[in-house]
Amino acid sequence: MQRSNTYVILFSLVLTIILGGLLSLASVGLRPAQKKAEEFAKKRQILSAVLDIEQVPDIVTEYNSRISSYIVNANGETVEQESPAGELLKAEDLDIEKEFKKDPADRLYPVYRFHTEGNPEDIEAYILAMYGKGLWNDIWGYIALATDMNTVVGIVFDHKGETAGLGSRITDKAIQERYKGKKIFDDSGEIASVSMLKGENNKPASIDDHNINGLSGATITAKGVNYMMIDYLNYYLPLIESLKKGEVVAVSMLNTKN
Amino acid sequence: MELISLGVKSIFIENMVFAYFLGMCSYLAVSKKVSTAFGLGLAVIFVLAFTVPVNWILNEYVLTEGALAKWIPASLGDFSTVNLSFLQFIMFIATIAAMVQLVEMFIEKFSPALYGSLGIFLPLIAVNCAILGSSLFMAQRSYTIAEATVFGFSSGIGFFLAIIAIAAIREKMKYSQVPDGLKGLGITMLLTGLMGIAFMSFLGISI
Amino acid sequence: MAETLEKEITKKKSEALLSKRRKKFVLDPLNDDNPITIQVLGICSALAVTTQLKPTLVMAMSVTFVMIFSSLFTSLLRNLIPTRVRIIVQLAIIASFVILVNEVLHAYAYDVYKQLSVFVGLIITNCIVMGRLEAFAMGNKPYDSVLDAFGSAMGYSWIIIAVAFFRELLGSGKLFGFEIFSAIGWSSFPTNGLMVSPVGAFIILGLIIWVQRSKSGYVEQH
Repeated sequence: MQRSNTYVILFSLVLTIILGGLLSLASVGLRPAQKKAEEFAKKRQILSAVLDIEQVPDIVTEYNSRISSYIVNANGETVEQESPAGELLKAEDLDIEKEFKKDPADRLYPVYRFHTEGNPEDIEAYILAMYGKGLWNDIWGYIALATDMNTVVGIVFDHKGETAGLGSRITDKAIQERYKGKKIFDDSGEIASVSMLKGENNKPASIDDHNINGLSGATITAKGVNYMMIDYLNYYLPLIESLKKGEVVAVSMLNTKN
Repeated sequence: MELISLGVKSIFIENMVFAYFLGMCSYLAVSKKVSTAFGLGLAVIFVLAFTVPVNWILNEYVLTEGALAKWIPASLGDFSTVNLSFLQFIMFIATIAAMVQLVEMFIEKFSPALYGSLGIFLPLIAVNCAILGSSLFMAQRSYTIAEATVFGFSSGIGFFLAIIAIAAIREKMKYSQVPDGLKGLGITMLLTGLMGIAFMSFLGISI
Repeated sequence: MAETLEKEITKKKSEALLSKRRKKFVLDPLNDDNPITIQVLGICSALAVTTQLKPTLVMAMSVTFVMIFSSLFTSLLRNLIPTRVRIIVQLAIIASFVILVNEVLHAYAYDVYKQLSVFVGLIITNCIVMGRLEAFAMGNKPYDSVLDAFGSAMGYSWIIIAVAFFRELLGSGKLFGFEIFSAIGWSSFPTNGLMVSPVGAFIILGLIIWVQRSKSGYVEQH
């Protein structure tokens, strides 16, 4: 069927307007739910650095009652800044990927405090965010340090696109367990971090407070994780040092909202 | 240097066909003869090298949150919170369809000889997953414009290599005794699997 | 066979809701005319998402949704769509439904949404969808088109679910994330890393095609 040009143009125009309108409606309508889903995923990840996430019945309640957060700069000083929407910027809203693209000295770093159950005055662990490059693409994670700011309480990693079955194993619980109880400072008080060795069958003698078994077949991903950890522990060092000395004692109010 | 590394990565390691299964439809349909595979491969390189940067510009200046504010003067209104990224798919596919048309007209006008060999493949390409896939990857990985161009071009080369190689093997396969049920698609799948193993040996190379 | 024939005759005046002709639309693509194994369409997305059953199932559902609704929509508009711009109109319709699926997944199945990443978007270029719109929905009534779309979508779905079943089982010893082998007391099951990699998908699909074609007796000529 041949139609006139006017018809074709009119038809396209009407179709564009109808489809565009429907899509905008759907997008605007679903936006709050999408934001909620993203926040939920992030809270789940932060919590899983300190808790066995499968045992947590309600992640949002658990998070709101046990985690409080603030933002520091590269010097370890607390930063209070307005978000683009004009409210006080929360650590949860910080886009670590965007921060990662800035110069380390200009970045903002989120700090999450994990409180003892039923006693919000007491802090069990500090959870710090990390971001880096794996073999293919970005990797990130959260490390939880005990209040001595030396012992690793737990760790969690995630990635955008490491090799399935090899590098992607950094998300395995069993591998993240290996970090538990390791120390980030060496005897002389320097940051030594915790590093994955090459391969998985290292001699027991080579496994110590700073070295753990790596990932066979994914040495570059493991190296990426090692670099990411040592980099971020150094970026957080001013904060870690001051917390170690117990300088920051005041615990701000828990997030009671949301 | 990083660009070269990205190029090598997109050609060999993250090969469109072997690592992401993109462009499989045309890869399987047009790989019976090397000569036609060659034509399609060239056309894919051509279109990818054009569409990925163009989509990058669209993504950067129209689609992402606050993109409109970069060039619309503030006196016309505040566009900094406008987020059109839900239109990404439809914009990308429209650009691709339009670019394919443009490239087709351009080649027809300036190089009739090339048009003769590429012409029939160009319309096919508009619905080739590799083209849309590359644009989507580009947006997802937040490349810069230079990276996007290199990525587009070398992804095309990766597809070109893959389709030429499989076409060459399939030409030889004509003389082999293949079980009836495996003939055609089945054996091509298995062959692609084996080639995938070969390409996996590039894994972990970093330049 | 005879039964369906009888039904045909009794309801000859108005065609049955599921007449033999219509059943064919649904059943043919499942086996004899399978979009993946016989027509060689829609393979791109079939392989990339099949490392695990859960995202595969979501992918199958998304494709089914997109196919049914874009077929319905195209079929309703078939007399209004100008022939010259029909391809781009079809693309626009498909893309709109895909965006819808993408937004819904983003809101209510964020885990899977992240896993599927760009492959939801690639449903747009899934040749099965385009192919059915162009070959069927453009020239048939809405109800028939929906049946046809449903059939093709099911043909596509069962193949990718079969591939995912084998890849997840052999590659990571799990089904829907459930440790199947340690559950039956065989915790030392040697999982095969190749199955999780793209190569495994090619090989499994190749073998499924072999089995399926030797059963249906379809032979492709070189």
